[in-house]
Amino acid sequence: MGSVISEPLADITARHWDAIVIGTGIGGGTAGRALAEAGLSVLFVEKGREGLRAEETGLDQGIFDPVARAVRGLWPDPILAEVNGTRQELFAPLGAGVGGSSVFYAATLERPEPHDLDDSEDRPHPTGGWPVSFAEMQPWFDKATALYALHGDPDPLSDQPNPALSAPPPAQPGDAMIMERLRANGLHPYRLHTALKYLDNCAECLGRKCPRACKMDGRSAGVEPALSTGNATLLTGCDVTRLERDGPNVTQVIAREGCEEIILTARHVVLAAGALSSPRLLLASASESDPTGIGNAHDLVGRNLMFHLNEIFALWPGRAAGFTGPSKSVGFRDLYFKDAQRLGMVQAMGMDVGYGEIVHHLRGRVARSWLRHIPGARDATRIPAAIGAKLMGQAKVFVGLLEDLPYAENRVTDEAGRIALTYRIAPELLARRRAFRRHIRRAFKGQRTAFLTHAPEPNFGHPCGTLAMGTDPATSVLDASGRVHGIRNLWVTDASVFPTSMGVNPSLTIAANALRVASIMGEER
Amino acid sequence: MNAITDGCAIVTGAGGGLGRALALELAQQMQVAGLGRGMAALEETESLAGGNFLPLQADASDPVQVAQAFEAARNTAPITLLINNAATYPRRDFLDETAGSFMDTVAINLGGIVTCTRAALSDMTATGFGRILNVATFADMHPLPASSAYAVSKGAARIFTRALIADIGDRFPGIVVNDWMPGMLKTGMGIPDGLDPSQAARWGAKLALWHDPSLTGTTWEMAAEIPPPRSLKRRVADRVLLRPRVKPRHL
Repeated sequence: MGSVISEPLADITARHWDAIVIGTGIGGGTAGRALAEAGLSVLFVEKGREGLRAEETGLDQGIFDPVARAVRGLWPDPILAEVNGTRQELFAPLGAGVGGSSVFYAATLERPEPHDLDDSEDRPHPTGGWPVSFAEMQPWFDKATALYALHGDPDPLSDQPNPALSAPPPAQPGDAMIMERLRANGLHPYRLHTALKYLDNCAECLGRKCPRACKMDGRSAGVEPALSTGNATLLTGCDVTRLERDGPNVTQVIAREGCEEIILTARHVVLAAGALSSPRLLLASASESDPTGIGNAHDLVGRNLMFHLNEIFALWPGRAAGFTGPSKSVGFRDLYFKDAQRLGMVQAMGMDVGYGEIVHHLRGRVARSWLRHIPGARDATRIPAAIGAKLMGQAKVFVGLLEDLPYAENRVTDEAGRIALTYRIAPELLARRRAFRRHIRRAFKGQRTAFLTHAPEPNFGHPCGTLAMGTDPATSVLDASGRVHGIRNLWVTDASVFPTSMGVNPSLTIAANALRVASIMGEER
Repeated sequence: MNAITDGCAIVTGAGGGLGRALALELAQQMQVAGLGRGMAALEETESLAGGNFLPLQADASDPVQVAQAFEAARNTAPITLLINNAATYPRRDFLDETAGSFMDTVAINLGGIVTCTRAALSDMTATGFGRILNVATFADMHPLPASSAYAVSKGAARIFTRALIADIGDRFPGIVVNDWMPGMLKTGMGIPDGLDPSQAARWGAKLALWHDPSLTGTTWEMAAEIPPPRSLKRRVADRVLLRPRVKPRHL
């Protein structure tokens, strides 16, 4: 299989590592790199396959065979999602390979706003605030911004400095045009903060694997630089099944490598399997001393699961503008916090919709309406779509990320090794959704727009909150340093740690927090 | 690697017919390694090429011989192009076949493509760049009498092209794979009043050196792309429903 890089398995199991990092996405990759660069011996344990570096596999494809999915670095099994009481099986946009989901991501690393973390009088925080303030996170945001080679414009609405952000290459015609349109509507667009090095012939591999170390992700900005220090080792195809705890220490990491059960040991264990899997590992680690799982004395592990709601809409900027190419990297924060409500930011999705997508959209509308009973109605949508595409040109697609808030009944559990989640869209969230959509419509007054999402649509690619940090062990799983309450060597560095989901993509905060936690670990060596 | 011609092309069945013509055509532009079962015929191709041609005696269906040949080819330049051309067409009634003789044909016509493709992909998946052109036929559509092993094996080879694309097409868009029907040729395997193989080879070489990801999965006959078949009903429906038409390309 070639699953072990540089060392035989027997040497890996015989060694007492400084740190074992479980998962190689943004959280694990970034933390492991920082630890390896600080001179610690690091073992990355990755469930997925190593894959071939030149692959350019995309995330969004109709591949359902678990073997074919695993080969591509996609999460092999469908997840079991019960949303508002309706149970469904679906393939979430999750990765399982070196770099985790991040090798597929659109590399948008947006910095949150101070009010995402901090409680203040005019913007009270729903949980009373993160145990780490925005000011404390600021230097780690800057470090992650540099590490991930972020290119973009500062947000014109923000007064927060962002010194490590590099200027983006000149805007593509599509981006320049759409920014002009947005400004004409009184909005404040900027070039999104994108983790691309823009090497020669950069193909901007957003939504697919980048064959070079050009897109910065958990692999290229985490695992690979860690391996090149000589202090780190990568074990792939290795599924961690449970942790053993003895008093204040995790003593063993038990895993399946191929058909074999192996035991790994380390001074520190960094859990970074993602917000849907890290809590499942703690739940699976039940024992006599932890009857419901490690860190779960207050039944909080896996709870408070949050996503963003995706509000996807099309904007027709006019026929002439349709020929300028897709708008890839534009966003704005004018609606981020409106009418004393936490909403979120709006971003271009990097695609144009023309004839084909309009047909798809109209068919969806037909399928939801009384027209579905009329034979041929589905196909007849092609005619208005073709006319529409001719008259209006290509539409630019945007997504609004609506912040989700923690509710204990929203949770992830394990069902025979599969990810199972229960999620109910809170009335409060629905009310904010209505406000968000109203504000979006208002922001584009005079422009032709159409929402492409009808039912509320959780973004299953942005799970977080399932092992939240806090100051009180009765209401949180981790302490402010990202360590499981009461266990001195078990740390978490993925999006599980988020007390709230914020109004931006999670990646920058995961990376920044991983650097912060790694630095605390380094001090304790 | 920026161009197919920076690397080494492998042409199977390069000792005669279309394979020789393809090798000669390509050798004008790049390093070519020609595989064949007879060394004398390969050496004749070499002398006709006047350079850039490496003769490699190997049975395309034998993994050990293919591995050795590819290693020798690799020493000249990384393998960027594979033309799976080698084939055999024994005219034989099925009642005159034994299971063994039938499967011998399958081993060359299908096994050769599988063996050489697997070997070439070691180079191509390392860089994410390459070109595979499979010389194909319509022999599977309406099998002729006395052609069962040929029709079955060449038909299976066409399925292999599609199956290969299902496995690697999305992961390696820079490895461009497609089928090409050279037409009825005036070769040992073809017909007496067929097309001059050197004419077909000019098309084949041009198509083989065309590195455009959108070619993956397309089928070409001589110098033209054959659009996927559509039924009459489909064509009428497409017209009525204003579906955009895709124009076939030409070399």
